[in-house]
Amino acid sequence: MSKQRTLCKFFVHGACLKGDHCEFSHDWKDPQNNVCTFYQKGICAYGSRCRYEHVKASRTPSSSSSSSANPPEFLLSEPILSAPSSGAPSVLEGHVPSTTADLSFSSRSSANEPAWGKIVGLDVESQDISIGQKRSLNPADQPICSFAAAGHCPRGEMCPHIHGDLCPTCGKHCLHPFRPQEREDHYQSCVRRQNHLEALKCSQEIECSVCLERVLSKPTAAERKFGILSECDHPFCIGCIRNWRSSSPASGMDMNSALRSCPICRKLSYFVIPSVIWYSSKEEKQEIVESYKTKLRSIDCKHFDFGNGSCPFGTSCFYKHAYRDGRLEEVTLRHLGAEDGQTVIAKNIRLSDFLSNLQIR
Amino acid sequence: MDLSRVHKELRECNKDVEVSGIHIALKSDSLTHLVGTIPGPLGTPYEGGTFKIDIILTDGYPFEPPKMKFVTKVWHPNISSQSGAICLDILKDQWSPALTLKTALLSIQALLSAPEPGDPQDAVVAQQYLKEYPTFVSTARYWTEAFAKESSLGVAEKVQRLVEMGFPEDLVRSALEAAGGDENLALEKLCTA
Repeated sequence: MSKQRTLCKFFVHGACLKGDHCEFSHDWKDPQNNVCTFYQKGICAYGSRCRYEHVKASRTPSSSSSSSANPPEFLLSEPILSAPSSGAPSVLEGHVPSTTADLSFSSRSSANEPAWGKIVGLDVESQDISIGQKRSLNPADQPICSFAAAGHCPRGEMCPHIHGDLCPTCGKHCLHPFRPQEREDHYQSCVRRQNHLEALKCSQEIECSVCLERVLSKPTAAERKFGILSECDHPFCIGCIRNWRSSSPASGMDMNSALRSCPICRKLSYFVIPSVIWYSSKEEKQEIVESYKTKLRSIDCKHFDFGNGSCPFGTSCFYKHAYRDGRLEEVTLRHLGAEDGQTVIAKNIRLSDFLSNLQIR
Repeated sequence: MDLSRVHKELRECNKDVEVSGIHIALKSDSLTHLVGTIPGPLGTPYEGGTFKIDIILTDGYPFEPPKMKFVTKVWHPNISSQSGAICLDILKDQWSPALTLKTALLSIQALLSAPEPGDPQDAVVAQQYLKEYPTFVSTARYWTEAFAKESSLGVAEKVQRLVEMGFPEDLVRSALEAAGGDENLALEKLCTA
């Protein structure tokens, strides 16, 4: 079945506050529901100046609102659409339409059905097209009630829209009963968010050993981050640990042994990972480190500069070393046998190294 | 400088002063100049003495070590008998921002009980420590008695003597306190003031 959704009206105007959680589509490819809801009810105060289309539509969610009914009311419109090609097997045949309203409703709107079909039909998968005009109103096309999804629907049982199933994690009626993929997506993102909140709660109490303050109670959002050291498990805020590691070794401190080491256990760490949450297990730390590295790997290294520059970190660089054509840098290390039997890796020698020292007289 | 951290440190340190015996007080209105007090460790020639340490916090604190030196005169191989300068790695290249004023003072207290004559600040004291240990112990004990003890009688006598020289009593008391009980130093201060 096509999982076609209606384009979000607010998204079209660039002002949807629900973002990823909007029950309407934020994909420009999806058809827009441009039918005036007031016209469906009989009168639109804007008349010909209305920015929405004044057509009699059968499929808009608002049209079903004219007939008061209980949540599974979306089934109402089913016989409407299957009416023109009566006799053909309907996808929704299994469902029993509520008989009270649908007769009058179908007779009124069946004539206008092609108008809808024209809009919606654009993106329908081929198997649906083969069914032709019979392409019935799929309950999965119906958006769920946004009030219920947000927590509470004032219309309760009387609401003409589908009320979503209860999500066990976030406790809202926001699982669409007929969109398994969306349910799964929501469920997963909900669990992920829940875990994140849990971890955030645990991280709340953790103090930075340098500023002696709770990291997540710092005044600005930028400061409310941990700086995780790669080799040990002592918590610091990102600002403090970066400050320490970059402080000038003017006071006679040794750069590598003093500044690069953990202020508490003095274990040497070569990099600091910023993180909003603190970890409670080795695996969680590994996950944070990996996701950080993955993020950096997608960013082009400014030193490498698509092959124009040279990166001092070489193969150890966390950033992406790719040329303009998308080819990744291939590194072949030259191993040199030193006199004492040790193997050293030869540094890249660039012509520019010589040219920059060259003095032209 | 991280002022809130200094505030916090002072509060924390002075909370358990009964247990540790370590106290930090403001020298002036600003938080950059402080005075720490540590008791002489038991079982050492410094036992019974109270040692004052001048603490100056730089702008880089806590990323730079605090500048500390003894105000009270001490006879110790790693502390200058003249200037009070302290030779301790954590106050120099081994400083870490996870250390606090209290832990630094605790380290100094530990230094009093475990001298390092191999890495001396005061060569004369270190020589004595290595070659004539009994003399070192008696000298250190004498210095503790003379400079680090504020027996009420001793202070009263010193005040009495200085007042007789013609200085007002309140000035004498504050000068003596600033000099850590050293009568000569107090006299010097009074004369230059």
